Amino acid sequence: MSTQRILPKGVSEADFDRALAGLREALGADNVLTESDALAPYTKIMMAGADEDYIPSAAVMPGTTEEVQEIARLCNEYTIPIWTIGTGKNLGYGSAAPGETGQVILDMKRMNRIIDVDPEVCTALIEPGVTYQQLYDYIQEKGYRLMLDPPAPSAIAGPVGNTLDRGVGYTPYGDHFMFQCGMEVVLANGEKVRTGMGGIENSSSWQVFKWGYGPYIDGLFTQSNYGIVTKMGLWLMPEPPAYRPFVIQYPDLEDLDEIVETLRPLRISQIIPNAVVIVHTLWDAGTHVERKNYYTGDGSISREALEAIKQDEGIGEWNVYAALYGTPEQIEVNWKIVEQAFGKSGKAKIMYGEEAEQRGGGFRYRSELMKGEMNLEEFGLYNWRGGGGSMWFAPVSQAKGSETADQTQLALSILDKYGFDYVAEYIVGWREMHHVIDLLYNRQDPEETQRAHDCFSELIDEFSKRGYGLYRTNTEFMEKVAGTFGEPLREVHKTLKNALDPKGILSPGKSGIRQ
Amino acid sequence: MTMTRRQLLRNGAALGAAVPVSLSTGWVGQAMAEGLAINGEIRVFGSDRSSSELARGLRGAGWRPVEAGRFDPLVLADLPRGTLAAGFTDEAGMALLTSQLVGRGRILALGRHGADGHQLVSQRGAVVDSLAQADSSWQAALGREYARLAQNPPSGRRDHNLREAGTAGTRELSFLVRV
Repeated sequence: MSTQRILPKGVSEADFDRALAGLREALGADNVLTESDALAPYTKIMMAGADEDYIPSAAVMPGTTEEVQEIARLCNEYTIPIWTIGTGKNLGYGSAAPGETGQVILDMKRMNRIIDVDPEVCTALIEPGVTYQQLYDYIQEKGYRLMLDPPAPSAIAGPVGNTLDRGVGYTPYGDHFMFQCGMEVVLANGEKVRTGMGGIENSSSWQVFKWGYGPYIDGLFTQSNYGIVTKMGLWLMPEPPAYRPFVIQYPDLEDLDEIVETLRPLRISQIIPNAVVIVHTLWDAGTHVERKNYYTGDGSISREALEAIKQDEGIGEWNVYAALYGTPEQIEVNWKIVEQAFGKSGKAKIMYGEEAEQRGGGFRYRSELMKGEMNLEEFGLYNWRGGGGSMWFAPVSQAKGSETADQTQLALSILDKYGFDYVAEYIVGWREMHHVIDLLYNRQDPEETQRAHDCFSELIDEFSKRGYGLYRTNTEFMEKVAGTFGEPLREVHKTLKNALDPKGILSPGKSGIRQ
Repeated sequence: MTMTRRQLLRNGAALGAAVPVSLSTGWVGQAMAEGLAINGEIRVFGSDRSSSELARGLRGAGWRPVEAGRFDPLVLADLPRGTLAAGFTDEAGMALLTSQLVGRGRILALGRHGADGHQLVSQRGAVVDSLAQADSSWQAALGREYARLAQNPPSGRRDHNLREAGTAGTRELSFLVRV
């Protein structure tokens, strides 16, 4: 129980009150939140951290870039740390909570303007509060034949926040940062800068040419705390005339090697152009099946229970969801190549259309995601074990069978040691794979929460020892993960931080970066 | 491709599907007939016994429960500002509910109810010592408690664990929020 007022670290109550008065004047009182019940949604974390470590002192909601500039100036004056969120849907990575208690949340939700969508060059320029659903609806209303690339919590999340955290989707534009083009950024001192071609007044190429002139700096504003992105350009895929989603399932754990070795050349050559997913049984079923219906014993779920799920759902140990795009003729040609490649060993079961729809698993919602349509089906994973605990462990691997097999075995052994389930998928890029494991646990049980924390920590350590690094992590483990990438890189990050934000007010601790 | 809002609602409606559909409640009309509401309306989400009992408790404490159907967190954005809402959902629904309220709503209280007891977190002052009532269900007692908390001003987070074994069967998650 706590009713004590939360203050930013190192800031006196009087200074904080003066800063809040300034913020209310700049934004309007309704856009500065300080009451506990209004701040409560910003405290709901799913990771295995202590609740009291993630409580904001206030939240502010600017509506314009000019207001963001004023917030930066005020917070600089009083040395108040701010933690920026877009739509606040980074569930399992820190949600909408601050990086540490006392920080002021800079909530960009009200900045939700779609500034431009160009159907000819297939680009968009948007603000951070725009959701995928909002942009999708806009495109539909305008009648543009353009596709989005939503991540799994698609409808409610936003393209800017997801891209800045280097998130992924499932269409051919699945690597979101790869398809980003041009930013407007407010720096810690309140100055505004436009990247790429945006520095030229009235430039018509801000959203079509990424590199601009001189050093390319957009990457500095992803997974970082060097500035506040207030506008971002992105590329949109033209809607293809034809589309064929399909699923290939394999029965055994060790089939992963064959899957990856078969898939890699098809993916690199763009025969299969989208961000394919290789989904393990428990993820494929876990979106709509509850664990307690199959297993109530101690420890990780038993092999018998897992086989029962496979049987009942009609799914494999591994389930590959992919799609072909193009003209019907192109699809037929590429389909033959896919069938031949996966048909060689006789282990794969290849399905599309009605046959795929009739099986269990996630074919329907995966098919929607792979053509850029919205759904929220993956939230069902939170019902698998219950208790509200979820952390994404997401190491990167080469797209090589031997490496993915090694990662899977390592993850299984560590999860089993701590009594958790392997709820996992591989998201296949061109040459690499994001091995995404949802560490689901009962956050209401302190012992289980501590165990989840220890398990996550050991996963980081053991994967790092074998040369595997994470592409993204939650706020509880940002410092630790940053450490696995070595001190020289951290020193560069710190040098940049000191140059761009000398008072360290922007999202202190993001990706382990501080003054 | 054009029915985007409908598609979104369809997807959202899939959440909370663990709650069985049973529309046998008649508590809305009953509340109106009794004319007891003195504090205003509360939208009550859910369509099973738990939600009808929750509504009974709210009504008994002077609120007018308005049946809002199966819980869909996405419809919260469409409710008029200031609307009070209560009900039951599952883990997926709770994750969506709390994230949807970020910057646009208030969490007054949340509850977790299972065979091992009740855990209530309130932002509106202390929680009662017990939901066990000789003459009513725990859901109705929760409704009375939520009715009381709805009238309190914000006062900071209070956790309360009520170890009352056997008061709930399967785990249910409750909420009291203002959008």
